[in-house]
Amino acid sequence: MTTPPILDELTSKADLPKILMLGWEFPPVINGGLGVACHDLCIALSKYANVTMIIPKSNPDFVVKNLNLIGLNTIDAKTLRNIGHTDTYKKVKQVHFIDTHLNPYYNGNASPHHDLQNLTSQYLKTVKVGDETAEVFQIDDLYGGDVIEKVTVFGKLAAKLALSLDFDVIHAHDWMTMIAGMEIKAKTGKPLVVHVHSLEVDRGGPQSKGWVYQVEKKGMEYADLLMPVSNFTGHIIHDYYQIPWSKIRPVHNGIRPVEPFKSVPMFKEKMVLFVGRLTRQKGPEYFVDIAERVLQKDQNVRFVMAGTGEYFNPLLERAAQRGIAHRFHLTGFLNLDKVRKLLSIADVYIMPSVSEPFGLSAVEAVQFGIPAVISKQSGVAEVLNGALKFDYWDINLAASYILNLLHDPVLVENVTHDAYKDLEIISWDHAAKKVIEGYNAFHLIPEMV
Amino acid sequence: MPSVCFYFQVHQPFRLKRYSFFDIGRDHFYEDDEKNRLILDKVSEKCYLKTNRKMLELINRHKGKFRISYSISGVAIEQFEKHRPDVLQSFVDLANTGCVEFISETYYHSLSFIYSKNEFRRQVEMHKAKIKQHFNQVPKVFRNTELIYNNEIASVVEKMGYKAILCEGVDRYLGERTPNFLYQPAGTLKIKAFLKNYRLSDDIAFRFSDRNWAEWPLQADTFASWVHKVAGNGEVVNLFMDYETFGEHQWEETGIFEFLDHLPMEIMKHKDFDFKTLSEAADMAKVRDIYDVPDYSSWADAERDLSAWLSNAMEKEAASRIYKLEEKVFSTMNPDLIEFWGKLQTSDHFYYMCTKFWSDGDVHKYFSPYDSPYDAYIYFMNVLADFETTLEEALQDVKPVKKATRKKVSTTES
Repeated sequence: MTTPPILDELTSKADLPKILMLGWEFPPVINGGLGVACHDLCIALSKYANVTMIIPKSNPDFVVKNLNLIGLNTIDAKTLRNIGHTDTYKKVKQVHFIDTHLNPYYNGNASPHHDLQNLTSQYLKTVKVGDETAEVFQIDDLYGGDVIEKVTVFGKLAAKLALSLDFDVIHAHDWMTMIAGMEIKAKTGKPLVVHVHSLEVDRGGPQSKGWVYQVEKKGMEYADLLMPVSNFTGHIIHDYYQIPWSKIRPVHNGIRPVEPFKSVPMFKEKMVLFVGRLTRQKGPEYFVDIAERVLQKDQNVRFVMAGTGEYFNPLLERAAQRGIAHRFHLTGFLNLDKVRKLLSIADVYIMPSVSEPFGLSAVEAVQFGIPAVISKQSGVAEVLNGALKFDYWDINLAASYILNLLHDPVLVENVTHDAYKDLEIISWDHAAKKVIEGYNAFHLIPEMV
Repeated sequence: MPSVCFYFQVHQPFRLKRYSFFDIGRDHFYEDDEKNRLILDKVSEKCYLKTNRKMLELINRHKGKFRISYSISGVAIEQFEKHRPDVLQSFVDLANTGCVEFISETYYHSLSFIYSKNEFRRQVEMHKAKIKQHFNQVPKVFRNTELIYNNEIASVVEKMGYKAILCEGVDRYLGERTPNFLYQPAGTLKIKAFLKNYRLSDDIAFRFSDRNWAEWPLQADTFASWVHKVAGNGEVVNLFMDYETFGEHQWEETGIFEFLDHLPMEIMKHKDFDFKTLSEAADMAKVRDIYDVPDYSSWADAERDLSAWLSNAMEKEAASRIYKLEEKVFSTMNPDLIEFWGKLQTSDHFYYMCTKFWSDGDVHKYFSPYDSPYDAYIYFMNVLADFETTLEEALQDVKPVKKATRKKVSTTES
């Protein structure tokens, strides 16, 4: 891999490319892996670029070194309204307009380039700042309520804010920020990169063609470059959204290093662990089938599912129906410490995902030296040589792999040894370099001399 | 007068099927008959029949001056016997020309020398008998599986009566010397070693169709001119390769058969050069120096050592477990168990388990019938688990007889 010259030769931050990131989840407010991934990618990128990140809400106590973090909840809408009438706007040379037709349900002002003078929204709230009042973007939780209005208003405000900022490239993460990304591109003419962590087709299945799907499709069509977190997701973008391969450049996720530890097991049986949301996408019902198959051969195994979701009760019932409830445990939601505790005593990790853009949890298991049995329908299967891989529907093969691992220490030793080697390239620094390479390959940032 | 010694390896393993943990104790048929048959047919059509026809034509055209040597593994011959007698016959036709030599190897194309000298000798004898049966020749030259070699192998093989042995010309043992002479293996008296000229051999076997190679497309006259450079500093040019090079690794479309068609003529355009079988060359040329190989070498991968089969924990575990069964297997006196135990020793099983993803992994992947090295290991170990159960059962049947005999003896004594 070639390293762009900027990485080694330039030390002055002023010479580095300027990235405007658009995020939704961000620490300390996180729901899933997206917030952590965005955070860690930004940190890694800040070595090679000036990164400004706009998010719906920031916490003034949460400061990230080398990152200009702007929460829309901290900006007065009045300030934003004035931006269009200042010199900043005139400096922006390329302004072209497109009609995005994004939102059949949104009944606000449909034009993406309207001014904010008349913008009203339940999410624009008047708050007291000292003696004065200010009108700010305020949402309590990221995904509840009228999420369509949330992401649309976010887009309008972020676009206005962007006019006052200096940047070379827009880098949006997932559908929640795609409207913002498109508006900013339309207003500034700057190139738009869309980082794809997860798609509606992953979450809802191939028949999903609702509003979110439409936003994703328009956003990806309008983008100059797409960076899915795996080839697997790249194929979905190509196959289900009809985007040409020529503008798809996968960038695999990295992972933070951890200090793995071992704990005393809670029971004498071996333990097979599943960690993840209990939703269709993660294939939790296959885990029950696999467990049943394993128990037919070996009764000295316990199966633990850490996570919660709409499949929680059906899974309980399914396990009871199969007569394996005594060996099958659903923990509900667990915080990171408790998940790590489970990783420290697990014998085998299983990820039967139906459609998994990346699958960081499998890499976390690998960090703990646990052999991973993972579905081929995952991005992580592309970067983990040291793992046993099966098609998510092939429960016999998965069960067979688990049994072999439980009975063969040499196999465990070999698989985990190879997986440790894989960890060397699964890093955020590696991912950040790939991002910069992508910008360069598509000439999205000024060439560095 | 330098002689070109062509030696081709013909081998097809009995591949194991995807034998899962659930098959243990239930299914005693281990081989993937369908896949083995499919591959045998494919390689027979693409390579063996076509190339044998070409070789026969070249021998006739050059009136016996084109001479070559083969080794065909016992397991490959078995598969020809069962499914492709036409291929076997085409080898017999070549043998009947008197210009083709068949040499010895281990019947199962195994790593047996490393684990059991007795088993090694048994397999070499088995293979010898098979060659005699079909080709009416008694081999005088030996090559070990994938040219696995060291001083000790040369000594053992010398004691078994062979006059020559084949090995890789490994730079780290040759130093500045050329592989183009016969050498005396260190610690031996008479046996001569042929060292593979890997540069010239690999030009045909690996680089021939490589479009990024400066010499692509390689023509017979160019290659012959490289061979001719040996004149004055060598007596043998040892071109050793897998026979599947012709038509299978290098597809017909690459022009490999045209290359082969012109090569003998181009080489013999130089009056000093001829072709010899390995035995003929061993009789003519003298050894010029000692070749000292204390550690195992081979012709496999960039490392040219045992790492293609025995570098990771899985390969070592699988191999040592199979050889631990030796005594038990023979004490059953059950020919089926003894035969299958032999087949489990075929080196390909271990080759598929190789996890050198980052260097030669691609080559291993190309040959592997499985999705991953772990699959190769898992299926092998599951088969072995079932085999061990069968073996134990067979031993139970054998033991009571022994006990009874012993009791009888003691009663008579008392």
